[in-house]
Amino acid sequence: MNRRLFIALALILVFCGQSLSQTGTKKKRPLPYEFGRVVLNNYSEKADLSPVVFEHWIHRSKFTCRVCHVDIGFAMKAGATGIHAVDNERGYYCGSCHNGKMIVDGKAVFAACSNKKLTYEDQRRCDRCHSIGKKVPSDFDFFTFSQPLPKERFGNGIDWEKAEEMGLIKPASFLDGFTIPKHSLAAQKDFDLNPKVEGMPDIIFSHKKHTVWNGCELCHPEIFMGVKKGNSHYNMVDISEGKSCGACHVTVAFPLMDCQRCHSKPVQP
Amino acid sequence: MTTGITCKRMIVAGLLCTGLAVPVGVYAIGEPPPSASQSAPARETWQKEFDSVCSRSQDAMSFSEEELATLIKRCDVLLPQIEKLDETRKKVYMGRLRMCRGLYAYVLESKRNEKK
Amino acid sequence: MLTCSNRRGTKKNDRGRFLLTLACGVFLLAGVASAQFFLPPPPPAQPSDYGKVILDTDASKSGPGAVVFDHWLHRSKFTCRLCHVDIGFAMAAKGTGIRADSNRQGFHCGACHDGKKLFGGKPLFAACSDGPGGKQCDRCHSLGKNGVREYEYRAYTAKFPKAHYGIDWQAAEAAGIVKPVDFVEGVSIKKTKIESREDFSIKAGVTWVHPVFFSHEKHSIWNGCELCHPEIFPTAKKSAVQYTMFSNIEGRHCGACHLKVAFPLNNCQMCHPRAPAWAQQ
Repeated sequence: MNRRLFIALALILVFCGQSLSQTGTKKKRPLPYEFGRVVLNNYSEKADLSPVVFEHWIHRSKFTCRVCHVDIGFAMKAGATGIHAVDNERGYYCGSCHNGKMIVDGKAVFAACSNKKLTYEDQRRCDRCHSIGKKVPSDFDFFTFSQPLPKERFGNGIDWEKAEEMGLIKPASFLDGFTIPKHSLAAQKDFDLNPKVEGMPDIIFSHKKHTVWNGCELCHPEIFMGVKKGNSHYNMVDISEGKSCGACHVTVAFPLMDCQRCHSKPVQP
Repeated sequence: MTTGITCKRMIVAGLLCTGLAVPVGVYAIGEPPPSASQSAPARETWQKEFDSVCSRSQDAMSFSEEELATLIKRCDVLLPQIEKLDETRKKVYMGRLRMCRGLYAYVLESKRNEKK
Repeated sequence: MLTCSNRRGTKKNDRGRFLLTLACGVFLLAGVASAQFFLPPPPPAQPSDYGKVILDTDASKSGPGAVVFDHWLHRSKFTCRLCHVDIGFAMAAKGTGIRADSNRQGFHCGACHDGKKLFGGKPLFAACSDGPGGKQCDRCHSLGKNGVREYEYRAYTAKFPKAHYGIDWQAAEAAGIVKPVDFVEGVSIKKTKIESREDFSIKAGVTWVHPVFFSHEKHSIWNGCELCHPEIFPTAKKSAVQYTMFSNIEGRHCGACHLKVAFPLNNCQMCHPRAPAWAQQ
């Protein structure tokens, strides 16, 4: 009797199981000014504040990925760092720069969080980051910012590499008090990866292009663990779920839909 | 009381070894580049050691296996010191040390694999 | 002692029968429910309704009324790729999250409907702009309103080759009646072409269904690569284990297009070329 019930239930699950999967549709694509947006809500709502909205586009035009993700220590997934207001007040994480003293474009960067009794102006300052559901004026407008920059498909619609080459953006790779002064990096060699799918152009992976912004520690070993060439196998399904290349190339760096950026021999200039 | 005296001796011996290891390590790895920072607050001892160990991560591929092993040991010595810090600095530096040590261990393993 | 012959009528047996009946009832319900998955839905009775998408992020709540988007007009002018890759429309109603604000900023509908881009020598009306009166809004926000659209289906498609569900777009393009544009200045960015992959066949999951013949060439002319890969078809494995009729009928995989916009699924021979004639519904 139990076995029959079990078979009946199993069959129902089989019929319904197909709809549980999430792949196979074209999802909403973030608009250029939304791409790279991260919502942080470990503790904000518990503290009666709106969740924090972090925009990558403005920060990546000022600093390399390494400064934030290695020197300052931000994790690569929303919520994984566990930033407290007190950490910011003490001058770590967001407070590394958002301390009311650092000068960017001739203005002092507003201080993040505060343990003092908040005035009306202070509360407006909280809203600058804790801005979900609020219309908060920003110092930087995406359209004004992106208009002079070279265009690319998808993502922010900006060719960040070319923008740096042209000197339109100058991401700093050193943050006083956080970055350990280092010699310049001797990048590892570029190499090619052969796709299993016949006819797809080879992927040329450029270590040089990646290390200029990321250094070594950002990727090794946490994102790319394999030590022996040829032993690691990467597939598009895993990548689209955020593993390996997908740690960056789904939500922040140029997205996976831009096939030719990776599947191109030689490396695209 | 015998146990207490032995403990004390072990702590002193450990500190001496660490003290010896630092100059030996620095001699082996080379002097770290001079700090360009003038405006940052004075670095504590453990911070200086951290800067010294983790400032050469981009040269990791050019180190020998012994040099990498020494760097990893220095990271391991730093770990308990970082664990004693206040919550914020502990969180920040544990993460940074994890990445720094992880890189050296990764490079060491790939060098060993290449040999096989 | 209870034996087989006198087990009937015991409490345990009654409970067993009840459970068996319940299981059969559940089976039956599952069978009825799964009939929705087994059979692809037929196309709408009116060919002009095929490919119609109602867009209602919040238009019906905020005043102008829901938007009616007819695929037939746009696909006669542009490839699927232009809208769904370059401009970035999702492939399910409400999936994109189009707002008047984003249109005014030049995204989504506003990428072309900006009052400047020329169509047939005339500038296209600007979407969600402060146009004269309310008539301009009604050109898109036309659900339930009559006589507000500029192009009428029958007149527009009079010379197009027909199929039972609507227009035979492949034949229309082959005859040169439609010439879908794949590049719009300011919207598209040209990229090195990846060579179109070979056509191939996929074995069905069951032996009594003929294999599917898939033509990459035919699909990539209108879609490019990025429309399908990697979001709709993430894996390179050609297998019916992952891509099944169940998922197609749910609107995933092939069903992302071939349920409501491209030729419908109930025309079996279009994909299963060796399927028997009676298989067409």
